[in-house]
Amino acid sequence: MNRLTHLPTLRIRPESRRDIHYRGKAHPAAAGDTIATALYANGVRIFGRSLKYHRPRGLYSLDGECGNTTMAVDGVPNVRTETVPARAGMTVKAQNVVGSAERDLLGFMDALSFAMPAGFYYKTMHKPAPVWPLAINRIRKQAGLGAIAPDFEITGVFDELYPRADVCVVGGGPAGMCAALAAAEAGLRVILLEARPWMGGFFDYRAAAHPGGGLLHERARELADQVEKAPTIRVFTSAAMTGAYHDNLITAVQQGGDDDPFDSRYLQIRAGAMVAATGCIERPLLFENNEKPGVMQVGCAHRLARTWGLMPGEKIAFSVGHDLGLEAALDLAELGGRVVCVADIREDGQDPALAAALAERRIPYFKGWVATEAQGRPTLGRAVFSTITGTVQKEFSCDALVASAGFTPVTGPLNTAGAKLAYDNHTGFFLPTDLPPKTHAAGRIMGLQDPLSLETSGRLAGLRAAADCGKRVDDAVRDAEAALASQPGPERGCKLVTAPVKGKKTFICFDEDTTLKNVKQAMAQGFDVPELIKRFTAAGTGPGQGGIPGHNLPLFVAQTQASPDKHPRPTTVRAPLVPPLLAEYAGTNHDMSKRTPVHESQAAAGGKMERIAVWNRARVFSKSKGAKAEIENVRTNVGMLDASTLGKFRIFGPDAVKALQRVYAGDMTKIPSKRMKYAAMCNDDGCLLDDGVIVKQGDAGANDFYFTASTGRAGQTVEWIRYHAKYENWDFHLVNLTDAYGVINLAGPNARKVLEKVADADVSNDAFPFMGYREFTVNQTIPVRAMRLGFVGELSYEFHVPSSWMQALWDVLAEAGAEFGIQNFGLEAQNTLRMEKGHVIIGSESEQRTNLLDLGLGFLWDRNKPEAKTVGAVALRQAEHQKGRLKLVGFRMAEPADRAPKDGSPIVDDRIRGYVCTARYSHALDMPVGMALVEDELTPEGTRLSIFEDGCEGNLIHGEIVSMPFYDPDGKRMRM
Amino acid sequence: MFGKSKRLWPRAPMKTAYDAVIIGGGLHGLATAYFLARDHGITDVAVIEKNYIGFGGAGRNTAIVRANQRTQENVPLYKEALDLWPVLTKELDFNLMFYNCGNLNLAHGEATLKAMRLNVATAQFHGVKSQLVDPKECKELVPALDISDRPRYPVFGGMYHPPGGIVRHDAVVWGLAKGAAKRGVHIHQGTEVAGIGTSQGKVVSVETDRGKIHTPRVLNAAGGYAAALSHAFLRQRLPISVLTIQAMVTQPLKPLLDHVVSSGTYHCYGNQTLKGEIATGAHMDPWPNYTTDTTAYYIKHQAEALTEMLPCLKGVKFMRHWAGLADMTPDMAPIMDGNDPIEGYYVDCGWGYFGFKSSTVTGKYMAQFMAKGECPDILKPFQLKRFQEHRLMGETAALVNYSPDN
Repeated sequence: MNRLTHLPTLRIRPESRRDIHYRGKAHPAAAGDTIATALYANGVRIFGRSLKYHRPRGLYSLDGECGNTTMAVDGVPNVRTETVPARAGMTVKAQNVVGSAERDLLGFMDALSFAMPAGFYYKTMHKPAPVWPLAINRIRKQAGLGAIAPDFEITGVFDELYPRADVCVVGGGPAGMCAALAAAEAGLRVILLEARPWMGGFFDYRAAAHPGGGLLHERARELADQVEKAPTIRVFTSAAMTGAYHDNLITAVQQGGDDDPFDSRYLQIRAGAMVAATGCIERPLLFENNEKPGVMQVGCAHRLARTWGLMPGEKIAFSVGHDLGLEAALDLAELGGRVVCVADIREDGQDPALAAALAERRIPYFKGWVATEAQGRPTLGRAVFSTITGTVQKEFSCDALVASAGFTPVTGPLNTAGAKLAYDNHTGFFLPTDLPPKTHAAGRIMGLQDPLSLETSGRLAGLRAAADCGKRVDDAVRDAEAALASQPGPERGCKLVTAPVKGKKTFICFDEDTTLKNVKQAMAQGFDVPELIKRFTAAGTGPGQGGIPGHNLPLFVAQTQASPDKHPRPTTVRAPLVPPLLAEYAGTNHDMSKRTPVHESQAAAGGKMERIAVWNRARVFSKSKGAKAEIENVRTNVGMLDASTLGKFRIFGPDAVKALQRVYAGDMTKIPSKRMKYAAMCNDDGCLLDDGVIVKQGDAGANDFYFTASTGRAGQTVEWIRYHAKYENWDFHLVNLTDAYGVINLAGPNARKVLEKVADADVSNDAFPFMGYREFTVNQTIPVRAMRLGFVGELSYEFHVPSSWMQALWDVLAEAGAEFGIQNFGLEAQNTLRMEKGHVIIGSESEQRTNLLDLGLGFLWDRNKPEAKTVGAVALRQAEHQKGRLKLVGFRMAEPADRAPKDGSPIVDDRIRGYVCTARYSHALDMPVGMALVEDELTPEGTRLSIFEDGCEGNLIHGEIVSMPFYDPDGKRMRM
Repeated sequence: MFGKSKRLWPRAPMKTAYDAVIIGGGLHGLATAYFLARDHGITDVAVIEKNYIGFGGAGRNTAIVRANQRTQENVPLYKEALDLWPVLTKELDFNLMFYNCGNLNLAHGEATLKAMRLNVATAQFHGVKSQLVDPKECKELVPALDISDRPRYPVFGGMYHPPGGIVRHDAVVWGLAKGAAKRGVHIHQGTEVAGIGTSQGKVVSVETDRGKIHTPRVLNAAGGYAAALSHAFLRQRLPISVLTIQAMVTQPLKPLLDHVVSSGTYHCYGNQTLKGEIATGAHMDPWPNYTTDTTAYYIKHQAEALTEMLPCLKGVKFMRHWAGLADMTPDMAPIMDGNDPIEGYYVDCGWGYFGFKSSTVTGKYMAQFMAKGECPDILKPFQLKRFQEHRLMGETAALVNYSPDN
C-alpha cells in the first residue's frame, strides 16, 4: 500500500525497513510501525477469529481495548499487535483459526449462533449425564484463544525498577504534560507514565487549530519538549499503568525500545500524589455486524492516516456521535481520502464550522442518522444507515466504516486507587464522586474536550498534587481554578448506545462474542444487574476486559429497564489495567534465601544442600542409606553439625523476666547462672509453639538473657513477645541475633577430647557438666558461648560464635578432631539420633491438636505463677484431664522383621486413632522404632497398633507401644 | 431451551413472616434454602442478600473441589460433596459444569511428602482415591511442570487425587437459586439485615431495611461478615478473623493444564477453567481486614511462584485480579452450630477458603439441623464448643494464627 508521506504528524520512518513474517511470507514494515499497522499496510484486513463464533476480526482500535488483533508472536500468545512495535524477524500467527484467518474452517460456527443463546452452556450438555465428560473435551478445545507450548521458554530481559516520586502523572497527553510541568515548577520530582511510545495524547495526530495559536500537533510537540527538558521530570514512554494500590503505589509495565537494555520492565512507583490524565477511549457504536473487519473507531482511522500514513480504506463511511468524528472525516478528506458519507447521531449541538466544512466539501452529511448494519463477506463492502428512530434507510458502498457513539473516560487508574464512580447525566460518563486522598484527575477523563480547558485542568491537578506534597501553591491553585471556570466545561455526551436493531449480530463485547440479544436474554432470565449479566454472558471477561463493553453494558441495562430508580451501575474495573506477561511481573525473580556462615564448606564437604523454609541446609553428607555412617560416627566417635539456623536472641532490661514469664510455660525467675534452662512456649490453646534454652548472662543481678528458638520460629519470636507484652509498658529490649551468630554442634563420646585440645578453659565433666553454660575462648582468639546439651543423646556441646568466627571455629575443631576421625553429620542423621532419644521436633511430633502435656513435656509448665498470665497456662489447666486427646508415644514393630512404617501413616481400627510421626531403623538398637501421636486409650505399653500405609490395600502392619527414650534411657551418655 | 426464557428466580414479594430466614445469598445460604425445601418441606423461606446473589465468596473463589483433607471428620463430608455435583446438575436441570480433572498437589521436600502421606492414607482408608506420585509421574500428569533442579524448590513428589476438579461456581449459585425458588423460596436481593429479634432466649424476628420479618429460625450464612453480624445482633462472639484472599486469571488459552496443580511451599495453585483461563491464587494477606483490595505484592508473588513451577506461563498474560474475604477460625475448620444458647439461631461460617467445595453438602446438613433442631452427627465435630475446650480440629498440621499478632 502506498503510504502518505511528508505528514508532520508521522511517527514512522519509511526509509528504515524491517521484515516481519506472516503466513510464510516476509512483510515489510517501517521503523515505528506496530505489528498491526505493518500488517495493515501489507493489505491484511482479517487478523484472527472470534472466540465462540469464529467471526473474522480486524483492526478496530489502536489501544488494545479488544482482542480483535491479538496474535501469537514468536510463540507468545495473545500479543496485542496494535501496541507492540514490529521488530525484524518476528513471526506472527493468527489465533483461533483452523486454516487461516481469511479461510477458517470453523467459520460455520457463526451460522450456529442461534443455538448458543446467553448461558446456553448452563442449560445444555448435561443431559444425558454421560454426554458431559465428552462435551468437556470439545469445549476445552473450542475455548481459549492463543496456545502456548508446555515446553515454551521465553527469551528476553525482564527488568524491574522501584522508583520514588513526589507526583506520578499517568498519561502524557496535554493535561498530563501540563500537570507534570506544574508540579515540576513547584520544585517536585515527577514521574510521567505514557502508554504510547510518545507523549502528546490526542493532540499528537490532529491538525486542527489550537485556540492559543498553531496546530494541535505542534502544541503537543511544544509541551513534550518542555517536559523532556524539565530536569525533575522523568518520563517513561511505552509504559502502561497496570494498577494503583494503597498510598499511591503505582505499577506499570514498560516495553523496551530498540536501544534499551531490557525487553520489558516492571515499574513500581511510590508517589506522594497521583494525577490521572488518561483521557478517553471511544464508546463503541452498536449496530448489526459492528465488529466486521473494516469497521473501526474514529481515533483508529484518524491515527492510521496521520501517525502511520495509512488511509483506512478506498471508500470511507462515518457514523459518529461527536465532533472529533466530524474532524476526522474532514481531515481524511483533506489527506485525499474518499469519504462517502457522514452520519451524525446528534440532531444538533455540532460545531457549526465542521458542519459547514463538510458541506463545502460536498460530503453527504446526515444529522440524526446512524449506521444500522455492516455488510459484506468476509470484510466490509457496504453499510446501511437509518435515522436513529429507524424510519428511513440509505445504503452506501464502503470498505471502511468509521463508527463511534461517544467517549469513555479511562478511569481505571482511579478505580484501582479506590475512587467510587457515579453516572453523570451531562457527559454520560461514570465519573469519580470521591477521590482517594492525594489522587487527582485531569483532562478528558473529566469530560473536557476544549484544548485550553484540558491544559488548565492539567495544570490545576498538578498544582493540587504539589499542595499534597507540602508545597505552598495556594495562589497558583486559585488562579488555575479561576482560569478553568472561565473556559469551556465538560461537553454534553451522546447517550445513544445502539442503532435501531434487534441485535442478533450486534456485539456489545467482541472478545466473548456477546450480542445485544444475549444481554436481553440474560435480563429476561433475571440477571438484571450489569455485574450478573457480565458473569452470565461473559461480556467483559475476555482479553480486553471492559474495554469494549464496560460503558455500553450498564447504559444499555439502565435504558432497557422500566423502573425509574435504576441508575446505570458500572461493572468493576480490576487490575491489571493492561495485561502483563507473567514474565514481566515475575521479573528477575531472585531466590532470596539464607545461607549459614559455613555454607560453602558444608557444600564442599559433600553436603546435599536443601532449601528448608528460608534456609539452605545440608541434609546428608554420606551416601550410606539413612545416613548410617554419619549416625554411627556420632554414636561411637564424634561428629559436627552446622546448627546456625537456630533462632538466637538476647533479651535484657529491668522487665525482661516479666516478658519471659509471659511467654514461657516454666518459671523464668529461676534461671541459675552458668546453667541452661530448657523451656517451652505455648499458644492460647496450650499447644507447643516453640522450645529452646535460656541462659543468664553477665552478673548475677543483671537482667540479661540469651535464648534460642527453633529454626522455624526464629522469625516470629520477636513479634510473639512484642505482641504479648504490648499492653504492659514493660522496659526491656529484645535483639534478634539469629544471623549474627553461628552454631556448631559437636557431639559424640570423643567430643570432649576434641574440645580439650582447643578450649582455653577447663571443660572436664566436673568443671563443665551436663546442662552447663560457659563462655570462653578457643585458641586464645575465638569467643565462644558453649552449652552442654544432648539433643542427639551423646556427650554434646553447642558453640555459639559470632558469624564471622564461624568458619574459623569449624576449621579449628575439624583439625583438632582429625586424629579421632571427626566427620560432618547432617539433618537426616540428626533426625534419627534425636528420635532414638525421644526428642521432639516441633511440627514433626507436634501439630495443632497437641499441647505441652500431650507431648509428655508437662514438666516444662510451672503452674504456680498465675500472676505472670502465661500464654496458654489457662488452657493447659483446663485440658489437663481431658479424655480423647492425641498423645505422643514410642513404638517398635510387632514383628521384628518388619521395616519401619512410613512417616505420616495413620494408626487405625474401625476409624483413625492416630498416626506415625517419625519412624526409622535404629542402628543403635538394631530394629525399627518410631514415635506416633495416638488417642490416649492406646497409650499403655504393649498396646498393639495397626498401621495403615498408603497403597497397602488393607494389609496393615503392626507396632507395639514401648517406653521412650529408646536409646540410653537413663541419659548416661549425655552426662559422661 | 430456545423458547421464551423465564426468570430463573422470580421476583417475590417481601412477606412479614417466614418459617425460616437465611442471611446471605451465597452458596451456603442458597444451598440450605434449597435443601430445607427439598428434604424437609420447609418452603416458606426467605434468603436475604445485601447485594446480589453470589456477590461474595461464592463468585470469588477459584472453584476447586476435592476430598483429600487431613482428618476423618472432614473427608466423608467432602466426599459426599463431590458425589453431589452430578446429582445436583441433574436435579436442578442446570449444568454446574463439574470438570473432574483431578488435583495434583506438589511436595518439595521430605516433610511435605510425609504430611501428604497422612492425607493420602486417610483418603484411601475412607475409600477416596488419592495416591502419592513421584516427580516423573507429576510431569506425565502436567507436562508443563518443571521437575528439573532449576526451581528454588524442586519437585520432590506429589499427591494425586483423581476424583477432584473444578466446578463453575456461578452456575452453582444460579442453579441452587433456581431450584430453591421453584420450590417456593423467596430470594430478596438488595436487602440488608439490620438485626435479629429474640424473646426469652428464642429467635422471633429479623429486621431488614425493607421491614421486619417474623420468623422462628434464622441461619447466619453471611460469609466474611457472619462473625461481625453475630456479635452486632446477638453479642455472640465467634473466634473468627477475617482476612483478604486474592486470586487472578490469565487470558484464555487452548488446553494446557489437564489437572489442578498446587503447591503449599510456593503458596500457589493453578487450574485451567473450561474457558481456558488459568485461575491461580493461594495465600491470604497476613493481616485481618475487611477490604477486598488487591495488592501489587501479591500479583507479583503469584507470577514468580507460578512461573517457577510452570515456566511456560511466562509467555502468558494476567487478565484480572480480584479479592474476597476469608473468615478464618483458629483451626482452619468451620463453625456449624445452632439452637444453643439462642433457640432458633444457627450459624454456618468460618469456612475460610473451603467454603465453595463444601457448600452443597453443608446446605444439606444445615437444613436437617434447622428442620429438626438437633445437630446431625456429621456436623458435631464442627461445633463451637471445641474452641472452649481447646480441642482444635486437626485439619491443618501447622499451628495457625490469624489474629492481629500474626
